[in-house]
Amino acid sequence: MRLPLDARARVNLPDDRAVARHDAAVFDLRRRRDAAVAALPEFEALRQRAAAVKRHVLDHLDLYLERFEARARAAGAVVHFAGDAAAHNRIVEELLLERGARRVVKSKSMLTEECGLNPHLEARGIEVVDTDLGERIVQLRREPPSHIVVPAIHRRRGEIGELFHRHLGTPAGESDPVRLTEHARRDLRPRFLAAQAAISGVNFAVAETGSLVVCTNEGNADLGMTLPGLHVACMGIEKLVPDLDDLALFLRLLARSATGQPITAYTTLVTGPRPGGELHVVIVDNGRTRLLASPTHRDALACIRCGACLNTCPVYRRAGGHAYGTSVAGPIGAVLAPALTADPAVRTLPLASSLCGSCSAVCPVGIDLHGQLLAWRREVPAAPARLRWAARLAAALLARPTLYRASGRLLRLAWPLLARRWPGNPAGGWLAARELPPHPGASFAARWRRRRAP
Amino acid sequence: MSGDREAVLARVRAAAGRRVPHPGVWEGAPGLTDFPAFARILAAVGGEAHGPLPERELPAALAAWADTRGAGRRVAAASAARRLCDPRWETLGEAVAPQALADVQVAVGVGCLGVAENGALAVLGRDVPNRALLFLAEHLALLLDVRGLVPDLHAAFRALPEGALAPPGLTWVSGPSKTADIEQTLVLGAHGPRSLAVFAFESTLRGG
Amino acid sequence: MEVGLFVPCYVDQLAPGVGLAAAEVLERVGCRVVWEPRQTCCGQPFLNSGAAREAKRLACAHLERFARFEAVVCPSASCVATVRRHYGEIGVGLGPEGLRVRERTFELGEFLVRRLGRVDVGARFPHRVALLPSCHGLRELGLGSPSERVGATPGPTEQLLRAVSGLELVFPSRRDECCGFGGAFSVEFPVVSGRMGRDGVRALAETGAAWVTATDAGCLLHLDGIRRRLGAGPAPIHLAEILAAREGP
Repeated sequence: MRLPLDARARVNLPDDRAVARHDAAVFDLRRRRDAAVAALPEFEALRQRAAAVKRHVLDHLDLYLERFEARARAAGAVVHFAGDAAAHNRIVEELLLERGARRVVKSKSMLTEECGLNPHLEARGIEVVDTDLGERIVQLRREPPSHIVVPAIHRRRGEIGELFHRHLGTPAGESDPVRLTEHARRDLRPRFLAAQAAISGVNFAVAETGSLVVCTNEGNADLGMTLPGLHVACMGIEKLVPDLDDLALFLRLLARSATGQPITAYTTLVTGPRPGGELHVVIVDNGRTRLLASPTHRDALACIRCGACLNTCPVYRRAGGHAYGTSVAGPIGAVLAPALTADPAVRTLPLASSLCGSCSAVCPVGIDLHGQLLAWRREVPAAPARLRWAARLAAALLARPTLYRASGRLLRLAWPLLARRWPGNPAGGWLAARELPPHPGASFAARWRRRRAP
Repeated sequence: MSGDREAVLARVRAAAGRRVPHPGVWEGAPGLTDFPAFARILAAVGGEAHGPLPERELPAALAAWADTRGAGRRVAAASAARRLCDPRWETLGEAVAPQALADVQVAVGVGCLGVAENGALAVLGRDVPNRALLFLAEHLALLLDVRGLVPDLHAAFRALPEGALAPPGLTWVSGPSKTADIEQTLVLGAHGPRSLAVFAFESTLRGG
Repeated sequence: MEVGLFVPCYVDQLAPGVGLAAAEVLERVGCRVVWEPRQTCCGQPFLNSGAAREAKRLACAHLERFARFEAVVCPSASCVATVRRHYGEIGVGLGPEGLRVRERTFELGEFLVRRLGRVDVGARFPHRVALLPSCHGLRELGLGSPSERVGATPGPTEQLLRAVSGLELVFPSRRDECCGFGGAFSVEFPVVSGRMGRDGVRALAETGAAWVTATDAGCLLHLDGIRRRLGAGPAPIHLAEILAAREGP
């Protein structure tokens, strides 16, 4: 009867030690974020402003998309629109095949994960190499990223050492992060030099200037954008910011919220192709306009993918990203998934939260994430039928004070039975993790009446 | 693909609300702009700051620094070469294929603005037309006229010169290439430069 | 002042002492406490599980039952957050009458400090106590400063505890990490909830506190259940129970 996330959490992080490791690694990012935020006196003002600018952009998104398109074209970029993942994949595939590009380097893009671009291209004989170290690790393991900023945070150095030994020929038993990174660097450098095209994600698109903004710490996106002549940049429709003043705002928030850095090591603004090169921008809807049309959920499109809500989420940290079964995990993943995917399994994700609200409190663009989770619970009939019936029955009792008090007496009688484990025990879910409290004795109502008796 | 364009824009248009106004330009109070503040942040992100030195001392300081970065090919972007006038640096021509820079040991370029709040330097296509140099060199030095220091990114974008965005683009560089993708252990030199040095200088032509 | 004591269903059934302690504290500071006998449940469990229709029905009844009070006080932050912050989302309590009741519904500690201006309620509890701020009270009612935000000022919960004679207040290493209760979440996601709870109990135990307190009895029932299974950890005591305590030295 267990819901998918809970069951997968046990597979993902099999014991308390694995949980502790994952939790500590991820929470470390939250601590770094806290320190960076505390060092910037106007952080809260920036945050409120970012929320306001994002809401304004979403409210005028068609204008900004058209402005961006016009300016990017004027700068020499080719702009494509894709209604869904299939259209996106087809556009990228055609761009590559028409130019005979079969060796492609790719930098991090959650959108291409969402669209399943890699398998699509690989099935057509195009070799796609993920070049972000974390992405490369999960690519070699043939598994999805578990975190939008640190894709391999769920893997330990020993596992990565073994993986590199198998695929990159590193010495057996090598697990030193510095040396493993060096091996990956040496493996990827010739791939960059030989690449015929680069695919990248987009952190922001500036409407006023037609610029694409790409942020990385490794510089892998920049190697892709400067070496091969063809650069294909893939972005969701929500990536627009009005102008450079607003870009400054979001850049001041993004890295601080993500990893506690004041800015990523490299932040590149690409406006048009480099001399002799080609720049293509693929702008993707894939369900985003459904969110935009929903007054309740459009705010989720304000997300800048910093990952702060994942890092602070006590559920994410103890379940691991793969437990979500979506390209984006954590609170924002659970908010986006019911709108962006048809998979019925993701509909229970909004239930996988204690609604502690920490996600909403860290979000640099002020998305009321836990409010969104709550709203999804009302909208999507996700709860198993057994729960819906239980709710109906309980509400019927609670609506009648006399019945309610009678069932309270029944509960007290049944207490010793509930405290024991037996198949079908209605308290089974409680007992799965903890003991029942000691018998509570008489109810408050009974004691109150006794106390007030003359 | 134009079919998708119209359909996507139509859906966006139907859902846009036109209610929320833009909050206007940012008018927050700027923070510190002094070089020590910049140097502190740069050190925190794994870079090193030198200076500010008089402009004429740059060639010697750079040569001394480069000597600590291993032997090999030394390449200066044209903008930097002009200031160095040092024959030990190969001046990079614009027509060179980026792939030909894969074996550069030490590179030097010119930054246009330095941001005290985040230790980033703006490197413009004007100054480093072959941008691959920034990401292929084993070690990178960037020169910065101290008059180009600004407090934060808001101020920085306002201070960018005309044409700053022209191809091949503008890169903010804050520290060397880095990753922490293996167990959150920070490793410098994930792909590109293993170290980054910023040499701030005071122009001999004061107020010029 | 006449105060309507709002005793949530789970407090009534599972933690009756918390309701009595709340009444005692309120009387001590001069309130006339009235317990409306037809009250049952504010609807929170239904609202949180997406059962809007059921939640609405209970919410309407709840507002009606408490309409006559000048103030409604409750020893459970999450129930107060439901009434004050979430009724609107299901279209309940939006009229002037409903809004009046919602705005006058207070968590016990915030009522004492923010409404009555009382920080010292004459309590004595000479023990080391760890505070686990219940999430809804912390982030939705502002009963303290959440760690995600810059510039912390102690809220009413901490102010009250600091004024308790003999009490040594301590915090776990992550001061406001969720304990993993979350109502139905705790029984539908026992693996994850259990992990959160065990981490919480261990962190609380590290403080050396004999007791752990919170503004929600739900958090405490969960932590107590975890503690019993682990065999170690501080014992639960609700904020109301500490404020009612008048132990000798």
